[in-house]
Parts: sequence; C-alpha cells; structure tokens
Amino acid sequence: MKKIIAILMSILVLLAGCTGSNSVEQKDNTLEKDWDSILEEASGTTVNFYMWGGDERINTWVDTYVADSMQEKYGVKVNMVPMGPDEYLNKLLGEKQVSRMEGSIDLVWINGENFKTARQADLLWGPFADKVPSYNKYIDKEAPDVAYDFGYPVEGYEIPYGKAQFVFAYDSAKLENPPATSEELLQWVKDNPGRFTYPEIPDFTGSVFLRHLMYELCGGYEAFPYTEEVDKEKLDVQLTPLWDYLNEMKEYMWRNGETYPSSVAALQQLFADGEIDISMTYHPSYMSGMISQGLMPETVRTYVWDKGTIGNTHFLAIPFNAPNKSAALALCDFLSSPEAQISKYVPENWGDMVALDINKMEPEYVEELKGIDTGIATLSSEILQNHRLPEISASYIPVIEELWKERIIQREGQ
Amino acid sequence: MLMSNVFYKLIVVCMVIVFVLPFLVLLVWSFSQSWPSNALFPNELGLRGWTYIFSPHSKVLSSLGLSLLISLLVTGIAMLICIPAGKALGIYDFAGKNIVEILVLAPIIIPTITVGMGIHIVFIKYGLADTVVGVILIQLTVVLPYGIRIFASIYKALGTKWEEQAKVLKADFWQSFRYVTLPFLYPGIVSAGILMFNVSFSQYFLTFLIGGGKVVTLPVLLFPFVNSGDRVVASGLSLIFILSSLVLMIIIEKTVSNRVEQTEFYYL
Amino acid sequence: MERKNNSKRRAVAFLDLLKPYIYLFPALGVIVVFFLGGFILALIQSLGYFPAIGLDDFTLNYYKEVLSDPQFLESLGYTLYIAAVSTAISTVLGTILAYALLKTSLKNSIISFLYKIPIAVPHLVAALMIVFILSQGGVMARFFIKTGLITETADFPAFFFTRNALGIIIIYVWKEIPFVAFMVYAVMKNIHRNLGEVASTLNASERQVFCHVILPLSMPSIISASVIVFAFSFGAFEIPYLLGVTYPKTMSVWAYYSYISSDLMERPVAMVINIVISLICSCLVLIYYLSTKKYLRRWD
Repeated sequence: MKKIIAILMSILVLLAGCTGSNSVEQKDNTLEKDWDSILEEASGTTVNFYMWGGDERINTWVDTYVADSMQEKYGVKVNMVPMGPDEYLNKLLGEKQVSRMEGSIDLVWINGENFKTARQADLLWGPFADKVPSYNKYIDKEAPDVAYDFGYPVEGYEIPYGKAQFVFAYDSAKLENPPATSEELLQWVKDNPGRFTYPEIPDFTGSVFLRHLMYELCGGYEAFPYTEEVDKEKLDVQLTPLWDYLNEMKEYMWRNGETYPSSVAALQQLFADGEIDISMTYHPSYMSGMISQGLMPETVRTYVWDKGTIGNTHFLAIPFNAPNKSAALALCDFLSSPEAQISKYVPENWGDMVALDINKMEPEYVEELKGIDTGIATLSSEILQNHRLPEISASYIPVIEELWKERIIQREGQ
Repeated sequence: MLMSNVFYKLIVVCMVIVFVLPFLVLLVWSFSQSWPSNALFPNELGLRGWTYIFSPHSKVLSSLGLSLLISLLVTGIAMLICIPAGKALGIYDFAGKNIVEILVLAPIIIPTITVGMGIHIVFIKYGLADTVVGVILIQLTVVLPYGIRIFASIYKALGTKWEEQAKVLKADFWQSFRYVTLPFLYPGIVSAGILMFNVSFSQYFLTFLIGGGKVVTLPVLLFPFVNSGDRVVASGLSLIFILSSLVLMIIIEKTVSNRVEQTEFYYL
Repeated sequence: MERKNNSKRRAVAFLDLLKPYIYLFPALGVIVVFFLGGFILALIQSLGYFPAIGLDDFTLNYYKEVLSDPQFLESLGYTLYIAAVSTAISTVLGTILAYALLKTSLKNSIISFLYKIPIAVPHLVAALMIVFILSQGGVMARFFIKTGLITETADFPAFFFTRNALGIIIIYVWKEIPFVAFMVYAVMKNIHRNLGEVASTLNASERQVFCHVILPLSMPSIISASVIVFAFSFGAFEIPYLLGVTYPKTMSVWAYYSYISSDLMERPVAMVINIVISLICSCLVLIYYLSTKKYLRRWD
C-alpha cells in the first residue's frame, strides 16, 4: 500500500511539476491586421464578455441591446458571463501559471487595483486601444481619467467604458438635512444610533467610502501622491485620524459596528428594508433605477458631500489568452460608440455616465444625450461635475484594506 | 393512546407547516412589484420578475436545460458505477476492503472546497476547467459515495442466495441480474437517484469553480441575484429551481418504483 | 483430466477473487483520480510545493503562518460552533419527527411528501427564504411592528451577520431536519414492522418500546445522518459567505478569500486552511464513531 501511495504521490508531483514547462507561445498577429479584416475575422464568432453580474438591469442591457446590436452590426454573438474581477483575475492567474494560451475570456470589465494587478502579472493583451476606431474618434486620450486608472498608467491596455461617481442616498421622507461632511456624519450617527453602516471592506463601495473619510480627515487626496510601493507602517500613522474616527463611530453604528453588511448589495437591502437611513452607491442613477422598479421608496434621494465625492472611470480590457481577440475588439468598438454610450446612460437601461468626450461627439448625439431624463433621484451632471474628486493611486488600496481589518475588525478579537 | 396519536400528529403537522410556509413568502415576493419596508404585504403586484425570467435573453431556460442535462448525466453515470461497487462492498470480503470503505466514505467527510481548489489547477492545465465534462467529473466524486452506500446495504441485506438460486436454474448473468437482482434494487435506485440528483442539481461551489462561470447552471445563475439582492428575480428563479427538482423527483419515483414500496436502505 | 479440472477451478477461483476489484474499478477510479488526486494536490500545494508560481521547496511555513494567525482559533471556534449546534438540533428534531411520522397514520398521505421538500431545496434558496422571514426587515419583524409588539426594526432580534450565527444555524436546521428524518424514518419503519408487535405482545409500554427497541436499533442510521450533517455544515461555503459575521469568517470562507486573492502567494495558505479543515473534520468524525461504537455493534 505504501508503495502505491508513493507512486501516486510521485505521479502527482510530476503532474503538478511539469505544468510550467510546456508553454507553447502562440503567435498572435491580430494587432497587425487592419480594422476591416479584424471585423471579417470576428464575423460569425462568439465573444465571451466577463463582467460582474449582480445587477439585473446591466445584465439585461448587455444581453439584449448590446447582443442584438452586435449581431446586427458585426455578426458577433455576445456571451455575457457573470463573474466579478476577483474571480476572473484568479482564473487568468491560474491559466497564466500553467501557460494556457487559449483561455476562455475575451473581454473583461475592469478598473483600479484590479487593472494594476492584471498589468503587473502581465495578464492583459495589448496595447490595443489605438486599434479601436471609436476610441480614436470620440475619446480624449490625454484626459487624466482616461490616461490613468487610479493613478496607474493605462498605456492602451484598456479603453474607457463608462464613468461613475460616488453618491450618498437618504429617504427624504425620513431625513431633512442628511450629513454632508465627515463631522456631520459622526454627529448624526451619534444622534441616531444603529441607523448607519457601510459595506465590509474589501467591498468596492465600502472601500471608496473609507477614502472619502481619508480625504477629509487625513489631508485631502493631495496627501496621497502617486506611488508604486506603499509603506504600510507610515500609512498607518498617516491614517491615525481615520482609525480614531471609525472607532469612535463604531459603537453607534448598525449592530454596534460588530459586523458589517458583506457587500454593497446587502447594504442596499438594509436601506430598502428601513434598517438604516443612509446608504451609498457608486452609480449616481442607481437609486432612480431602483425606484422605477419599485425596489426603493419614491422619496429616496441622492446627494454629495460638500467637499465632493470620488469619481472614476471603468474600462474594458482583453486578457493575454483571449481566444477571440478580433471579436473582443469589435465589441470594444461598439461599446465605446456614441449610440451604445447613450443607450447605457438611460436610467432604465443602466444609467452609467458617458465615457466619451462631449466635444468630439456629433451634435445630434449631444442633443440626444441632453434630452435624456436621468431620473427623479439622480443629481444633475453639473452638480456631479463640480463635486468630483479623483481617486488615489491603486497601490494604497490593498494596504488600506489590510489596515482596516487590523485596526477596526480584529481589535476586539485580541 | 389516542391522546398520544394526536400529539404526534401535531408534531408532524407543525413541522410540515414550518417546512412549507417559507415557500409562500417566496411566491409573494416573486409576484411583487413594490413592497415598501414597513408594509406587511406588497402594495402592488406585478410580473417584472417573471417577465425577466421568461424573456429569451435571460438564459434561465437554457441554464435550466443545462442543469438538468448535467445532473441527469451525473446521476446516470453514477448509477452505473455505483451498483457494481455496492455489490463488491455488500457481498464480498477481499483484501483492502477497509481502505476501500474509507475511500468511499471520504468524499462525504472531506469538504468539497478542499478537493475543488486542489484539483483546479490540473483541470485548467488539461482543459477540463470551464467545460461541462469537467463539471460532470467533479460532481461524480461528490455524489458517488451516497449511491455506493445505498447499494452496498441493499446487497448486504440481499446476500448471494438469490443469485445462486438463479445459477441453479441456469440463468445467465444478464437474466439473473434483470429478473432476480434488479427488482430488489428498485427501491435503492429510487432513493439513490433522488439523492444523487439533488446533490448534483443544487451544487453551486464546484460548478462555479470548475465551470469557471462558463458552465451556467441554475445555481450559478441564481447566486448573483441572491447576493445582489434583486429579491423579485431571485424568488422567481428559486421557485423554478424547486419546482423542476420536485417534478423530477416525482418522475423518478413514479417511473422506477411502480408500486414497489419505497424502502430506504441507507447507512454510512 | 483431473488436473485440468483443477486448474480450471483454480482459474475460476482466481477470477472470483478478482471479481470485487473489477466491480469496484470504475467507482474507485473516479474517486482515486479526482477525489484523492484533488486532496493530495491540495496537500502538496499546502506544503508550499507549487512550481507553477515558482515555489518548489517543501516547507511547513504556511502551516506555521496559518496556525499562528490570531484569526485561526476564532475562525475554527466559530465554524465548530455552527456545525455542532446545527447538527445537534437537526439530529434530535429529525429523530423526533421520524418517530412522530411512525406513530401517526399520516405516512401515506401528502404529508409524507411535503416533509421531504426541504431536501430538494438547495441551501441557497433556503437561505433566501429564511432571510425574507427572519431578517430585521423581514416578514416576521414587520408583523411584530404592525401588531405593536416592537416599535422599530432594530428591536427585532438579529439573526444574520451576527456572531451567534443564529440565522445560519436556522437555515441548516430547516434543511437538515427532513434529511435526518428521511434517513431515520426508513429504518424505524422496518424495525417497527419486525419487532414492534413482538414488543407489544410482551406488554411493553410505548415508552419502553421506544427506549429499548426502536431508538437503539435506529442508532446507526441516526449516527450516520448526523455525521453527514456535521461534515456538510463544517465545510459548507455558500451560507456563511453570504450571511456570516465580518469577523471571524468560517474556515471555508477564509480559505476562499485566500484562494481568490490576486496575490498568488496566498494560495498555499488557502490550501493549508483546506487541509486543516479536512483533518479536523475527519478526526472529529472518527472520535464520534469510536464514542458511539457500542450503539453500532448492537445493530450487527
């Protein structure tokens, strides 16, 4: 029996061991082709689009409008796969490690620290942006929120897909003057114990919420310049006011701050169920959409803090081992075209902000854009624009998340 | 005596109510249009959830089909390899039987996430990840133990006397299996079939991990909705899920068992 | 002639000897390759041997890292607590339900079908339904507010995202009681048919029949049902992932977060947690078996 186990072990070790060795580098010449032959190659194929799949409206938009248009325009079938960045990055990493050059993902929806991770691990194919006609035509390539993604240089490895800005939400039937600074928030939470919480880090929205407090308490975004490597201890010291603030607030929070909703979706449930009075979202028109579907009361409104809220751009990227890069490029082109961007901006469809440069768009598109009713609870684009703060460098984010766990969560455990 | 009968009836009825009542809530949610936070009942009913579910682009019907296909294949293949394995364990004594028994028990005890994460990298390497075949293979290991144990206990109770009898009557192997053994196996086929089907049909984690999000079975489709909290769609999907698995349970029970009283032989 | 016969007989005997192995071959093949293979690969990766990411030394460092993490004991305790409490409640109530089913004449009615429904319901759906009912914004809380028993949602006890994990336990219990009852009832029915009448003719009281005949004889199936329930709830992932408290995580959720971390160096950590859960679970099952051995023997 021992012998059998020994043999089995060695086979498995061999199996696991030889995984790195037999990489077959495939020559990929998609970038050398002209756009017409790319489209020709894409025609009749399927493109696998991996994206976070927790919002029925976004799924429906991709499955209907995008899929139908792509079929009509390029003869490409769009297969939306509901999988978030944590999981697909992990999958790509796994495939990279065993040198699987023919993967299953053609296009991903990505930004921020996920983009940085992907670039650093060399998981993305490119630079491809200049190949995409609508990118060349409609996008201001020099704009800081297009050329940099959370401070990390984009360098043509992703193209902008949409823009979002963080907003807070409250029910105007219950609250008159929602707190619009960190100070007011703390006071409000103390006056209304149990009625506020934020999503558990590393939830994307929860993490952005922390950065707002950081900006207000620890010297603004200027205090966090672009950097590749973050010194954890130094940052910890710099963030002391943030930890003090959160720990002071903690006992007045929902469930005394002993636990947090596990995702932004869970937070919205608490808000919809009236368990908390202030919510937050990274989609300015999210609440309008929820109201029109009857999932939130009609009196819900959104607002920004006096000193502004963080906005960012989200992107599309193509993995290194995408099996169908031509169709991915075709889909990129369509998604960054004015018609797709305008359709995406309609709140019933999604309500995501346009990633294109308005000055480069044809007047009829601009007219159409202006005519769209963004919904009862959505702030005007002027207000949003005037209260827009930049994101900080992606390198900070995992460190902040780690520190949050140590400073806020594990404290009582020890 | 009468009193105690009433008492037991009460226990049974109470528990059944607890088991069934939640479905009503699910049903109401799936038909609600607007259900504000302070209202006991929805103040507006609507078909938003069902419209989404039955619209051709929602993938619900295709993933239901895929789920059924995968689970039926898993159950079928498992059945074919469980019956002989159960016979070996139920009737024969052989060297290494203890080890085999532990091996067969292990997939129930060792958490599926251990095995799934461990083997993932090899599946990626050999192209089994993201495929229906990969999902079927990994699900087979999870359902097999249940089937093997059921058939082992049936064969144990059955012994060899019937097959010997058949041999005396000069029945060949297939005749003996078809006319002598199989009738005894019917109840086992029903309960093993139902159990294995359910384990496979409701498997989320392994399908998601090994299927890589590309093998979209019903649980994989449902998970983001439960997680993101679109309760209307999630409720509708859940009802479809339960309904299809119940219908299948009834079909298996009716077609295979035809009036054989269902007895479960099932020990660990 | 006789020798020929002999060798033929020997060949037949040899074939008979091989028979169980042939019968077992396909099943064992699948289990050894995919199950044992997966487990051993997890073990190898937990020891830091992971050439794909440039780790090719066997080391116990990852074990040290996990075992000395302050989260480890808390996570283990939380996981054990959830598994033990849900197993205990489901086993006791499931056995009671099985016995009650036996004592009522309802067995062939619709009831015997209805009670099995939760078995066919996946945990994910069970979680959804029970959250609808028991969360602080759920149906029950709304009912209490309407009737004036409580004034606001926060007065309703918290079942989810809590350290006491009551909601998770209720979901498991709701799902597993019918499972235990299903397994135990079948056995009780057999016992009842064979021995119940003998016992009654001997003028034994109902209680005596239960305590001295039915319960001991159905013990093996009760034990095996509870082992399945325990092992499942110990290693389960979905429910604590969706509804668990922020800290500590259950072991499986912790393993998952380490596994999907974009830092591949976390993967051996995930594997260590996996191996640790597997070992602890196997040991507990073994201890449980040994301590209940006397009941098992009675059955044979």
